[in-house]
Amino acid sequence: MADNVEEIQKSIKKYLWIGLILMVFTAITVWLSTVELPTHGLNILVGMIVATFKAGLVALIFMHLNHERPIIYKVLAFTAVFAIVLFVLFYFSKQDPLVFEGFYSIPE
Amino acid sequence: MSAAATTHDHAHDHAHDHAHDHHEPGFLRKYVWSTDHKVIGVQYAVSGLLFLLFGFFLMLLMRWSIAYPNLPVPAVDAIRSIPIIKDLFESMFGRWLNPDGSLNGELYNMLGAMHGTIMVFFGIVPLGFAGFVNFVMPLQIGTIDMAFPKLNMMSFWLFFVSGVLMFWSFFVGTGPVQTGWTMYSPLASTTGIGVSNVWQHGHTWWLMAMVFNISASLLGSVNVIATVINLRAKGMSWLRMPAFSWAMFVTAFLLLLAFPPLEVAALLQLSDRVFGSSFYLPTGLMEGGKHLDISGGGSPLLYQHLFWFLAHPEVYVLILPAFAILTDVIPCNARRPLWGYKPMVYSMLTLGFLSFLVWAHHMYLTGMGTMMSTYFQITTVLISVPSVILLTCLMISLWGGSIRFNTQMLFASAFLPMFGIGGLTGLPLAFAFIDLALHDTYYVIGHFHYVVAPGTIFALFAGVYHWYPKITGRFMSDKLGKLHFWPSLIGMNLLFAPMFIQGMAGFHRRWYDGGKYFENTASMSHWTTSLTHKIGAFFGLEIPDNMLSLNIVMSFGAFILALGQIPFIINFWFSIKGGKKIESDNPWNATTLEWATPTPPPHGNFLFDVNAHRGPYEYSVPGHPADFYPQWESEPGKPVPPAKSEAHAHH
Amino acid sequence: MEIPYTVHARPDTGLYNAKIGIWLFLASEVMLFGGLFSAYIFLRVGADYPWPVWDLDVKLGLINTAVLIGSSVTVVMAWASLKLRRFGQYKLYMAITVLCAGVFMFNKSLEYSAKFKHYAVKLTDGTILTGHLPEDDHHKTIPYQVKFGDITALSLTIPVKNSAVTADPASYVVPHLEGEPKFKTADGKEIVLNAASFAELRAQALAKAAADKKDSASVQLTAVSPLKAAAKPADIFGYTETTITFRDGTVATGKLIDDKMTLLVDGIDTRAVAQPEKSLAFDQRYLAAWQPTFVANRDHHIAEFEKHFPTRDKSKSATLQKESLFLKLHSSTPPAAGEAHGNKHGAEAHAPAEGGHGHGHDYPTVVLEKNDVTFFSNFTPKLNTYYAIYFTLTGLHGLHVIAGALVLGYFLVFNGRMMREDPEHLANRVEVGGLFWHFVDLVWIFLFPLLYLL
Ligand code: HEM
Ligand SMILES: [Cu+2]
Repeated sequence: MADNVEEIQKSIKKYLWIGLILMVFTAITVWLSTVELPTHGLNILVGMIVATFKAGLVALIFMHLNHERPIIYKVLAFTAVFAIVLFVLFYFSKQDPLVFEGFYSIPE
Repeated sequence: MSAAATTHDHAHDHAHDHAHDHHEPGFLRKYVWSTDHKVIGVQYAVSGLLFLLFGFFLMLLMRWSIAYPNLPVPAVDAIRSIPIIKDLFESMFGRWLNPDGSLNGELYNMLGAMHGTIMVFFGIVPLGFAGFVNFVMPLQIGTIDMAFPKLNMMSFWLFFVSGVLMFWSFFVGTGPVQTGWTMYSPLASTTGIGVSNVWQHGHTWWLMAMVFNISASLLGSVNVIATVINLRAKGMSWLRMPAFSWAMFVTAFLLLLAFPPLEVAALLQLSDRVFGSSFYLPTGLMEGGKHLDISGGGSPLLYQHLFWFLAHPEVYVLILPAFAILTDVIPCNARRPLWGYKPMVYSMLTLGFLSFLVWAHHMYLTGMGTMMSTYFQITTVLISVPSVILLTCLMISLWGGSIRFNTQMLFASAFLPMFGIGGLTGLPLAFAFIDLALHDTYYVIGHFHYVVAPGTIFALFAGVYHWYPKITGRFMSDKLGKLHFWPSLIGMNLLFAPMFIQGMAGFHRRWYDGGKYFENTASMSHWTTSLTHKIGAFFGLEIPDNMLSLNIVMSFGAFILALGQIPFIINFWFSIKGGKKIESDNPWNATTLEWATPTPPPHGNFLFDVNAHRGPYEYSVPGHPADFYPQWESEPGKPVPPAKSEAHAHH
Repeated sequence: MEIPYTVHARPDTGLYNAKIGIWLFLASEVMLFGGLFSAYIFLRVGADYPWPVWDLDVKLGLINTAVLIGSSVTVVMAWASLKLRRFGQYKLYMAITVLCAGVFMFNKSLEYSAKFKHYAVKLTDGTILTGHLPEDDHHKTIPYQVKFGDITALSLTIPVKNSAVTADPASYVVPHLEGEPKFKTADGKEIVLNAASFAELRAQALAKAAADKKDSASVQLTAVSPLKAAAKPADIFGYTETTITFRDGTVATGKLIDDKMTLLVDGIDTRAVAQPEKSLAFDQRYLAAWQPTFVANRDHHIAEFEKHFPTRDKSKSATLQKESLFLKLHSSTPPAAGEAHGNKHGAEAHAPAEGGHGHGHDYPTVVLEKNDVTFFSNFTPKLNTYYAIYFTLTGLHGLHVIAGALVLGYFLVFNGRMMREDPEHLANRVEVGGLFWHFVDLVWIFLFPLLYLL
């Protein structure tokens, strides 16, 4: 945590810059969504990568995660793992890659 | 007797000081709107016990119907003649009974769903987790209260509201939900869909109650974790913390991270019911031969995923507090250190972590893909490893001890084999090909009841007997305790063991008539059924020699179990004023910090500056004069100095 | 006794209590929104209809994104100012933050209310017509109702056993009747049907049923003079040419006058139709005149696409599907050949479906036969799983915005004394409140592309 006066004064500028970068990347997100990539899934992927980058900036800079205590990192790491498990397994439960053709087939 | 000597003297004069320099808060502030962790703990524990009793009563009604389908419930007429009780009974159950006073499928389903919900979310969790953690954990880690006392109070009252809402659902138009504690959609979303007034629908109340309940759990678990992280006393390093507090710490994480998806599940189901959305309703869904007026496009599987993402960790929320209690009760009464403290701590952490990764083993029958099913089978088998480590460590802790078989120790030692049965019968279920046959049969019911009933609930009883003297300053009667224990043990086993046999014979878990009206159930016989038949004949009873006879055995077990609880209820209430007084603040000669406080612990808990000098399980230390060496003694038998200042926590 | 570490950090963990508390709370919030996002994934992957893309008002969403990012900057600036003891600046930044929350919620309410007025009607062949219901002279929407006339009799069944669905015509039938609800009972008595008179009838009927040992009592009422009824489909169970069943199970006998639905169409979505140009929407009774426009527009977009992406599978481009098969109408008559809408593309073709500009335009009016309609709803959670998850996600996010604004507003208004006397404590509070606020912003960063753009 930036606790002394100089550091806080320095970081004020940083906050403004980050705000600006976030705005710019929002514009980029909108533009990217109008670009026709080979599949729409790719569009979603790119959009989510940009969003993750933005979210990362908010978390690291605005929420001071760039210098937090180890225990907070541990808690958040577990949370992140569980959230990702949730996403991935929900996705695969609809799109299981191991389906034996002919054994049973999913009606269109 | 060194420990007693060190803390005992302060107990009484302190109570007076306290009354003088603070002005006493009124009754309401002290016992109702209290922010003191101990009062909140007791509030939770007592409400949990009451809900357990209520849920137990629902189960008795169900067991009647299973054993004697379509016979009038005994005593209904008697109840219907008592003035005020009559109306209450009528609007809760009576209005659904058949005219002759027997149960029907509708009422059975209501009882079943509410039994499950109440036992899990309103009985065991509030008592086992919230009650014990609130009362014991802050004392054990040597702090004066939880990190956020006001939040703690709010959490209890949110829980209270949720209990009231759930209870209220008995009185609304449709009666309580009928669709199992799992509340699977689309059944849950479409039953009683004709009821256009959502407030007359039990399902709406169930969902609201759950949203409150979940919020309460979330606040509570934030509080517990923050307290453990930041308020441990001097010297109370992570690996000097009693395994009790460790287990509760892990449990709190399960609640914190697993409950939100259930909140989502409940919100989406609420939206389906109230706003007509189709989260869980597939395209083309029909009800009574008519297409529903819905868009479709959703999936029942979504509900199951969200539900079980919580509900598997939830079963560890049910079992970890039991382990927590045993890690205190067993070493203390075996007078031996806990065997394998560190492996146990790591097992608990592993268990907590893995429990998030196994949920879909409840969903093998949904026809999930091969990869998913393989994944979930592997993780499910993996998770039994830490469970076995925990159980084994507890058993080895008994080795070479000089065991004191007081009531809590009886319950604790019965837990070990009972949980063993429950856990071992879970293993076959972990394999999809076996689960195909056993899913939704009584086998599954047997499996999880062995874990939670003679497992967790026995451990909770042990905890109640163990900490009761700290709360009230009096012991519970050991005689009544034994009168409680033995019928409970016998009743539980009569009740749950036959379930495995019936389950493997294919008995479905939701038959309100216990299988009487299904073909084939009457032609299956087994040595247990012949035995039952013969024993019945000996007493001049006509019990058939087929699977249905086991229904009668089980209901008989339930009846014994019910009788067994009467001594407990008497013991619990009468010992408050009539129990034997304790002679020291540390009546069990235990080593952990909660026994260093005056009895009952005053507001602020400790009379000295707490310092944990050693690990929590120093029993029978070679060369030590007494057979226990408490965490708070700096040298053997040395009294603890009183607090330097009242405000040792000030800045 | 005071709880330790409420203001200053505990040396070995480096944290004060509230900081741990808020992070734990945020962890559970991550799982809450994680659950919702995984529901989104699940619904989207499993959707059996074209998932709406660019269906919302992107401009409004963009403004809201900017507002939230701005407020995230101001809240962290407020904290920094407080740390530097610049109280004036702190107050200013905090006020701007709360104001931003207000602007955000105002925009949200605009967005929501436009949706409540906008309808989608699904026809039997899968075509979806979007549009508005007609309005009366005072710009009030005329709801879609099923109209009955010549109602001569009501027949009700009252179960003896307590049941959730029980006859209650006073609340379920009478509000839909026109004229005074005067009826004759079976024994010739004349009554005005209301709660009191029905209670009496009910008691009599139940007594009789009990005497006859029947499961249910039935009551027959004859109208003194023929009545009319009009009810929204949600208020009734169903109807035939001659009977209408209300939600309490009461059946009225009469004659169906009108169950046609009038819609001012602003869009024809044929993405789910096998042969789009033969959609039911272009039936002679409906929008046949628009068929050439539709075909021209479709062919134009397909040609453009083929020019730019010759190797791509046309059926896999969500954008192309939408541009070519979802025709937006901007006038009451089709444009003459040559000046087709099809010439516009890009942002124009992406125009939001709710037609926010609404009333300035004329739209073709169609009167739909009930037989052709399988489902209709305004743009609410009922419409499809996309709108269901959209409302749930944004609604829950909106609640978080409100909660955050209330907390920050509380610090601003009521913690003046703490600011002067114990600014470090207030700075902690603002930090904790700010963390929550940033989290709300962080969620929106994902919501915006997922719901508005992709
Ligand atoms: C030791 C390892 C365990 C394994 C491998 C295991 C495995 C399983 C499996 C596969 C099922 C699903 C059966 C089905 O529905 O077809 C199940 C059900 C269940 N288990 Fe376990 N289990 C274990 C321990 C526990 C523990 C410790 C508890 C509780 C404290 C527990 C509580 C439950 C409950 C409540 C259900 C049934 C839920 C329902 O369908 O209503 N299990 N178990
Ligand atoms: Cu499980």
